Amino acid sequence: MKAKISALMDGELDERAARQAIDALSREDEAVEAWRTYHLISDTMRDSGLLSDGFAARLGARLAGEPTVLAPTRQAGEPRSWHLLPAAASVAAVALVGWLAFAPQQEGGQTSPPPLAQAPAADPRPVVIPLSSAANDYLLAHQGFSPRISIQGMAPYVRTVSDEQREAGR
Amino acid sequence: MTAAGALGVLLAVSAGMAQAQSPETLDWLRKIHEATQKLSYRGTFVYQQGSRTETSRITRFADARGNIERLEVLDGEPREIVRTRDTVKCYLPDSRVVKVDQRSADRSFPALLPERITALARHYAFSLGETRRIAGFDCQAVVLTPKDDLRYGYKLYADIASGMPLKAVTFDSDGETVEQFTFTQLSIGKVTPEMVKPRHSARAWRVHDAEVAPARLAGWGLTAELPGFHKVIELKRRIGESKPVGQVVYSDGLAAVSVFIEPLEGRGGAVRTGLASMGAIHVYTREVANHMVTVVGETPAASVQRIANAVEYRRPQ
Repeated sequence: MKAKISALMDGELDERAARQAIDALSREDEAVEAWRTYHLISDTMRDSGLLSDGFAARLGARLAGEPTVLAPTRQAGEPRSWHLLPAAASVAAVALVGWLAFAPQQEGGQTSPPPLAQAPAADPRPVVIPLSSAANDYLLAHQGFSPRISIQGMAPYVRTVSDEQREAGR
Repeated sequence: MTAAGALGVLLAVSAGMAQAQSPETLDWLRKIHEATQKLSYRGTFVYQQGSRTETSRITRFADARGNIERLEVLDGEPREIVRTRDTVKCYLPDSRVVKVDQRSADRSFPALLPERITALARHYAFSLGETRRIAGFDCQAVVLTPKDDLRYGYKLYADIASGMPLKAVTFDSDGETVEQFTFTQLSIGKVTPEMVKPRHSARAWRVHDAEVAPARLAGWGLTAELPGFHKVIELKRRIGESKPVGQVVYSDGLAAVSVFIEPLEGRGGAVRTGLASMGAIHVYTREVANHMVTVVGETPAASVQRIANAVEYRRPQ
């Protein structure tokens, strides 16, 4: 099995063999141990940062504490992702395990939640400034990429700064 | 899964999502899209934003080889913008400057293409509104209501006969109008190529060429993308007479936000950081890693600010 784990890490297994190896990872302590050791070796060789002690155990505990999502919302609906669907389960497993192994070391050994779970922090109120005379050039450069052009033709191009507005802003 | 299988799943999913919208509304979106792509027209419209109103004339000539559009601002400082297949030229007769911006095939992002409507439906709900007469045309209102407050909503009044939009209102999460475009006069068809020629020859004028070129801005990115907004293009260009500036555009399919990145060195004067606004457009400026980052977008100020604050530079490995 150790050879299989090594081949799995190198992406050399076909789908069936990879599935078996991933199955083994979920059942056999020996396989998991090999997975950890090989990643430690590869990390050391590549000089990547190591995880703090007990990282996997803490992450496992946190995952166990997460509520079960019964109907996960799919963010990605782009066509390119659809052909991956049948493999999604195994990819997810690999991604999770891979992430466990490669996540950068957190300062003080603290883990932070993955970005998606982060509540968007309200940005502080910005300082309000007048439009600068250069704003026209930025607007012109931006307008061409606005999808609204396809609905309204060039009309949105009128949104350049008029002299009056600039005067008022001074 | 085979390609046919993947397509099957895709179709099934799009059909499922499209069902949430009435087929009639989707037909209207398609009709508006076709009208704006195919029609030749000439008309006068008013742009309103806060207390500002500005009248402009727009002329569009479309034939099998493509189309040319000409926009003349009739109030205040004269400006004329002519858009052909390859370029956008902005003529400023007062300062005798012509600004030239190249377009490439991948530069147009038609929002209402049938295959994009599915993606749009994740962030906007489509519905039909009232019918109303505008500039002599009987119009149907089509409403695109955002599903969160990261983007604005749009109400388009389209001519029932041709699908041509006569009025476009942008509204915020409170339903308040942020800006609007309204045709006061419009004639469809009867446009000749002469009518879209620029008024000025611009001989001996100063030329500000944007020198747009595809680029990869190594090291620059966002710590977190705004939900629904994806990177659509990355390039280098000039802004006015500046040194080359990086531009990255993010879009949710209907609204777009540009991030401009330029080196601070060699710039005269200090950077004024903060938020500036005009109608639906917000501009947020800040400094990141010895660069000036300017984010311009037709989204609520908070969205522009969130993207600006997510801009980061990581030294490429």
